[in-house]
Amino acid sequence: MSIAARLRDYGLPLAAFVGVIALWEAVVRVNGIAQYILPAPSRVLSTLIENFGSLATAWWFTIKITFGALLLAAVGGVLLAAAFALSRTVERALFPFAIVLQVTPIVAIAPLILIYVDSTTAALLICAWIVAFFPILSNTVIGLRAADPNLRDLFHLYRATPWQRLRLLLVPSALPYFIAGLKISGGLALIGAVVAEFTAGAAGRETGLASRILEASFRTEIPKMYAALVLVSLTGVAIFLVFNVLSRWLLGRWHATERRDLE
Amino acid sequence: MAAALELDAVDKTFATGVQALAGASFAVQSREFVALLGPSGCGKSTVLRLVAGLDAPSRGAVRVAEASLSYVFQEPTLMPWADVFDNVWLPLRIGGLSRAEARARVATRLDAVGLTGFEHAFPAELSGGMKMRASIARALVTQPSLLLMDEPFGALDEITRGRLNDDLLSWWQANQLTVLFVTHSVLEAVYLSQRVLVMSARPGCVAAEIVIDAPYPRSPAWRTSVHYAQNARAVSEALEAASVDQVR
Amino acid sequence: MKTIRWLSALMLTAVCSMSVAQTAPLQKVVFATNWKAQAAHGGFYQSLVDGTYRKFGLDVTIVPGGPQVNNRPLLPAGRIDFLMTGNLLHSFDNVKNGVPTIAVAAIFQKDPQSLIAHPGQGYEKFEALKNAPIALIAKDGQFSWWQWLKVQHGFRDEQLKPYNYNLGPFLANKKAVQQGYSVAEPIYVEKQGGFKPVVHLLADHGFSTYSTLIEARVGTVRDKPELVQRFVDASILGWVNYLYGNRKAANALMRKENPEMTEEELEASVALIRAQGVVDSGEALERGIGAMNRARIRDFYDKMVQAGLYNPGEVDLSKVVATQFVNRRVGIDLKERLAAK
Repeated sequence: MSIAARLRDYGLPLAAFVGVIALWEAVVRVNGIAQYILPAPSRVLSTLIENFGSLATAWWFTIKITFGALLLAAVGGVLLAAAFALSRTVERALFPFAIVLQVTPIVAIAPLILIYVDSTTAALLICAWIVAFFPILSNTVIGLRAADPNLRDLFHLYRATPWQRLRLLLVPSALPYFIAGLKISGGLALIGAVVAEFTAGAAGRETGLASRILEASFRTEIPKMYAALVLVSLTGVAIFLVFNVLSRWLLGRWHATERRDLE
Repeated sequence: MAAALELDAVDKTFATGVQALAGASFAVQSREFVALLGPSGCGKSTVLRLVAGLDAPSRGAVRVAEASLSYVFQEPTLMPWADVFDNVWLPLRIGGLSRAEARARVATRLDAVGLTGFEHAFPAELSGGMKMRASIARALVTQPSLLLMDEPFGALDEITRGRLNDDLLSWWQANQLTVLFVTHSVLEAVYLSQRVLVMSARPGCVAAEIVIDAPYPRSPAWRTSVHYAQNARAVSEALEAASVDQVR
Repeated sequence: MKTIRWLSALMLTAVCSMSVAQTAPLQKVVFATNWKAQAAHGGFYQSLVDGTYRKFGLDVTIVPGGPQVNNRPLLPAGRIDFLMTGNLLHSFDNVKNGVPTIAVAAIFQKDPQSLIAHPGQGYEKFEALKNAPIALIAKDGQFSWWQWLKVQHGFRDEQLKPYNYNLGPFLANKKAVQQGYSVAEPIYVEKQGGFKPVVHLLADHGFSTYSTLIEARVGTVRDKPELVQRFVDASILGWVNYLYGNRKAANALMRKENPEMTEEELEASVALIRAQGVVDSGEALERGIGAMNRARIRDFYDKMVQAGLYNPGEVDLSKVVATQFVNRRVGIDLKERLAAK
């Protein structure tokens, strides 16, 4: 990639980000805004460093829930999508439930799930899963159906077994759609994990960043709230980058969404 | 010689109510190169699909005596996620051959179509003509005796089409194939085939049959000859007549 | 003659100043509580509804809290004028973090924060609670007095389950214990679960904080002390009227604000507040409701330091409360008059 392209791709967002942070710091300093109303970035950073020990444990917990839920959502979504693709009857029967799951606000469900499920961690996983599951399901179903009909005919002509058809045709056809669903669900799983913990609350040792944010809010430690939020944002950005790289690795050479020579 | 394939008073009506074919009958002899020509929507592709077994006739019989057949679509129909080698390997792979076992045959085919060196290229990186060559290589890798082709060169530019026409004729001769070639181009049908079957408008049947009496190998020079023009005119007129006659 | 002239001048002045007082615009005051309207807030709603706040020149708006609501940041941010807080830990935290707020009155002499349990499960003694398999504690408690319970009384994080203000999990599990206000939750448990729970007041085991404190910004105390005084006095009188006088209108208003509340629940709660001496006990009997004692605050702070919640000297106790607005026997004679009726 040319220097100009690299500068454009990485330099521009970085410069914009640094600019906003600098502006924020300036506004706080110039107006003498109190740290319990709007802390300056420098203050947030120092708080983050000071409390890194406890924040890091909470961060790790949130990451575990997020990726655990995402993994379960991917597995569940793919399996169910395969079932839907194989049988229209199954699809018609189960799809309404999937939609209900998708639109019910997690804020309302989370406390209920906590009543029925003993382990808080399990409850949080379930909540994050509910939020992340649908995009993967819906995208993968479309992907499985998106196989080129001519290729389908070819496989029929060659007398391919259903297993061969799945492995050599359906799975690769569905892959770009699945990846697209995964990208969406990555961010959603994080949101789900944080929101679920916020509304349902976590307990004792098993606590994530949401609990840290709440705790800081209750103890009027505003810079700490911001510090925890920074970590949530970093996680979101990291998820985005990870899936971008994954997408490029899997689809890079052949799918329209990833081909750079088309730019 | 027994007919390699035969259609006997075939009707085909789709679930949508469209009747594609009505009383279509013709035969193709072994090792013949026959073109199926007709206006859009006359059911040419349907005939091919019936011969391939992808569809069944509503009435009448389709008899195919050839042991193995291959199909080449209008689009190259390559798997975009696989490279050229894997695409050509596909029919052998489904048949149980490993990559190592198939390597020699795939290489030979790619060489025959002129794609040596492009084994690891992806379809997205190839031109239209090259993709079609890869598709044909895939069709030939199983060493079929019957080759069904559905307007395979329609999307290509004239020069590429010309080259592929000539290459196709040499592959036909080299592999002793029977070829049923669907096209809507009069000029192409005349240049390539020994017989042109002219289909009527929908619902289709074979309205006329024109024998092209010219020796092989046919050269681009023949395209500019009077003989070629006469044949083309005869086929054109038959096509006109068949297209007008829509009342069934 | 001279006496009459003097008297009429006096009366004229009195009438004029009264009418001036009536026609002077009321000062707008926003007071945020820490929960939905309940009997434990009764005194404030009383003064709102019987005109006491108006008489003191205040146009008060009460902003309720709730399960998902945290009104605390609104005070330092300047969005509200006064805030109800549940215990002194909040004040300690604010002072520790340099947040300029200060407590000006302590309506509850006893913190009703309790742990409740099913009867007949062996939880009759407080010491048994730490062995309960499940302790349902809400977020607020988790980050404050739960820490004290762990250090001082041997409770463990393994027991902790988030409490979402739903009695279901507690009612369903006989071995569970949960938090509650001694003047509120037992009433709901009896109504929904049909039994009287065992109630253990944290205050009886060393949690000696004041509760339902009125907090204000340091700036307000410094620049508008008479406003603070008026709000505190009117609130104290509200509590006297609510506990000992006619509270029907206050109850009606609270039921309007919190439709899930019933009249009998409110009355039962008031009975418990009086019986347990939550508001009017100890020093409040002598010095008026809202009384605060610095020695007791220091003692409580030392207990919390011992429990590891704070480091010694981390909090400047002189900044935690301002005692000049209470301990003035406000409401004592009103109470006597109401008792005489």
